[in-house]
Amino acid sequence: MGKLDGKVAAITGGTRSIGRAMADAFLAEGASVVINGRDEAKGNAALAEMGSTERTAFYAGDAAKQSTVEGLVDFTVERFGQLDIMCLNSGGVLNTAPVFMMSDEEWNLEIDWNLNHVFWGMRKSLQHMMPRDTGRILVTSSVEGKLGKPGIPGYAATKHAVNGLVKAAAREVGTTGITINAILPGLIETDIVRNTGPDSAVAMGLPSYQAMLDLFTKESAIKKCNTVEQVAAVAVMLASDAARNITGCMFPVDGGTMPY
Amino acid sequence: MGELDGRVAVITGGTRGIGRAIAEAFVRDGASVVINGRDVAKGQRAVDEMAAGDRVHFVPGDACVKEDCEGLIDATVARYGRLDILVNNAGGSVNNAPVAELTDEAMEFALKVNLWSTFWCSRRALAHMIPQQWGRIMNISSVEGKVGKPGIATYVTGKHAVNGLTKALAHEVGTLGITVNALCPGAIETDMMKDEGGKAAESMGMKYEDLLAWFASESAIQRLNEVEDVALVATLLASEAGAGITGSLISIDGGSAPY
Repeated sequence: MGKLDGKVAAITGGTRSIGRAMADAFLAEGASVVINGRDEAKGNAALAEMGSTERTAFYAGDAAKQSTVEGLVDFTVERFGQLDIMCLNSGGVLNTAPVFMMSDEEWNLEIDWNLNHVFWGMRKSLQHMMPRDTGRILVTSSVEGKLGKPGIPGYAATKHAVNGLVKAAAREVGTTGITINAILPGLIETDIVRNTGPDSAVAMGLPSYQAMLDLFTKESAIKKCNTVEQVAAVAVMLASDAARNITGCMFPVDGGTMPY
Repeated sequence: MGELDGRVAVITGGTRGIGRAIAEAFVRDGASVVINGRDVAKGQRAVDEMAAGDRVHFVPGDACVKEDCEGLIDATVARYGRLDILVNNAGGSVNNAPVAELTDEAMEFALKVNLWSTFWCSRRALAHMIPQQWGRIMNISSVEGKVGKPGIATYVTGKHAVNGLTKALAHEVGTLGITVNALCPGAIETDMMKDEGGKAAESMGMKYEDLLAWFASESAIQRLNEVEDVALVATLLASEAGAGITGSLISIDGGSAPY
């Protein structure tokens, strides 16, 4: 008996890190899960690690592209007959820079990846969820959705923006059986942070990758990074039927970082 | 096998309403739970209804009295040998009125039951949690700990203060394995709300039904919350995965609070 027996979830960027932890947790609670990522090999490796049951599938594509996000929803419904839980989780930065040096290419990428992807996925998911009058949409936001560190202006701007989108959309569907929430993790040392962190640290004017980790953790009460499992536990809770009265919430998983 | 096997929790004012729902959820997940309240008969009835054998125990006491708060913590440790989870749930307000007409007694009661009880119980509990480097303190606050409706300045002030205490304490013990969070529910039609809501509504210049409708109208769900909503989040915060969540003012309000 799992908390998500019979539910069907789709997760953008679910082959590793936060999305993967959500996938593993959902699977353990009885859900069927479609994960997504750009790299077919990584996707298949993830499926193999997850035990590759009848309850898992991989959908290849770039979450910064509308065709991928909408295709993921259609694929999930075709494969498993419904979509109950949509995790709009993919996001990040590639070549971040302070505003005065920010390229249009990077800015547009971050808008597509962090914000438009959430809008596209939310709209398409709602089209499936509203006729059934049930659903859960979870958006992976960030402490930077409430704060704003120098050197990551696009990330801070887009995460603030998705928080606004979540609040507005939650009210639009508030009296249906659909909830829409954002989860706001503090820094987690995921693969993507390890890969892009050193460049981000330079953009933030910091001497090293470690200095960037320290900048985030020193603002917390726990003085350390968060973990993907902590985020996944919140995701399971919000995805459960029991969470029907929690919506429009900016759910913190940040070790005491955000002031509000 | 539950997530809280072997854990010991104490809940101020846990005989009914939100505290009772949290007590039941914790027991279901394997914890031993001490509930508290002024009325011994109500406490005994709650223990009987919960039917959890040795894993539930009632300690009488008034959350407005320091000796009772400290005695409750001590009695919990005496009974179960440890203390892992403190839920500062007792709260409320009486004799509400607009500030221009508010009595000292009404303000004093609200600060005692919401703020001082949380301070007294937390301080005493930390003496047990700090040495074991593990603890969970949950303060049952309110959406009114973030916003402020007219006519209930007592309650609004008490809950805002609890939220401030939550943040400061979370930073004090952040590296010690102890988390401190405030749970901020929207309006719930508990027994206490039924008892006191009418008078609060009067102070707000409206009828009881209008007060409930006002709270619901500010939410996305356009209805009140339920005690189980709060218990759901409390269970998560009590778990191992809750270790990464502290100093947070968590909205459980159907989308009411703006932040």
